[in-house]
Amino acid sequence: PLPVRKQQIYTDLQQLLLLHSKLKKENLIPLFIFISGGATMSVLALTRAALKNPDVSWDHKNNPEPWNKMEPNQQYKLLAVNMDYSKLKKDRPDF
Amino acid sequence: MAEAVSDKIKNYKTAPFDARFPNTNQTRNCFQNYLDFHRCNKALSAKGQEVSPCEWYQKVYKSLCPMSWVSKWDEQIENGSFPGKI
Repeated sequence: PLPVRKQQIYTDLQQLLLLHSKLKKENLIPLFIFISGGATMSVLALTRAALKNPDVSWDHKNNPEPWNKMEPNQQYKLLAVNMDYSKLKKDRPDF
Repeated sequence: MAEAVSDKIKNYKTAPFDARFPNTNQTRNCFQNYLDFHRCNKALSAKGQEVSPCEWYQKVYKSLCPMSWVSKWDEQIENGSFPGKI
């Protein structure tokens, strides 16, 4: 048996839960969905940046200027507004 | 090919969109064209060809780069202290 004050709080809590019977753990599932979705997307974005970003070079000897390996109409951005990449052509002289 | 290039150089208005540098920061675009101009000169004169196609790169970097950078790099090239690989 608890001291009087703690007993009071304990029964208050029981009454609270009785009245608000929807306070269950399952109600937190949408929260878990959004958190895990956000975490997955951020990890995917980081790995895409690490592997596919033309500014990133992990091997300086064999891949010194990775942006020069891009095609003239290759798009890296996920969303490009007002830029029709299919119409671009190569316009630099060779040497 | 040379005629197409000289036509392009004659009709030059400004630096075209470069898919390698799609974002707002065009620093690397400027530096890459500066490097390409000097690399083009070096490669074509080593092959014994005319270096006139390289003018394209010069026009592009002059459009993009701040003049202070260009004069600084030109000085560095004369000194031999230019950090880029040509």
